[in-house]
Amino acid sequence: LGSVSLKVEGMTCGSCVQSIEQRIGSQPGVIHLKVSLEERSATVIFDLSQQSPESLSGAIEDMGFESSVPN
Amino acid sequence: MTKHEFEVAMTCEGCSGAVTRVLNKLGDVKFEIDLPKKLVWIESDREVDVLMETLKKCGKEVKYNGTK
Ligand SMILES: [Cu+2]
Ligand SMILES: [Cu+2]
Repeated sequence: LGSVSLKVEGMTCGSCVQSIEQRIGSQPGVIHLKVSLEERSATVIFDLSQQSPESLSGAIEDMGFESSVPN
Repeated sequence: MTKHEFEVAMTCEGCSGAVTRVLNKLGDVKFEIDLPKKLVWIESDREVDVLMETLKKCGKEVKYNGTK
């Protein structure tokens, strides 16, 4: 399993957090997901054979939020 | 170009911001968002299905109200 803490910009409230948790949480290979409004982050534990930090960040971008993989 | 009206269950500026970004990424659309009324008007020659799928990416419920 892999783990990554992605940056997420554009969330303003708990409902933003919820929509990301629902949609990204249901992607294949996502084992655990914690989205934080305060820290503007999404911490994901995922199956390395199905996801990567880049694919997860891309999925968040696809929802209309800005996301990047920290160096 | 046809003007379509969609109802999107937006609740905050994060939602309308997300709708703005997904539509800008799709391209070839002109749009207007009314957050309090939860309405999005899109002027585009694209198929309604394509517009619908794009709006749904935000993870909110979307309803098509027809052309305006
Ligand atoms: Cu919000
Ligand atoms: Cu919102």
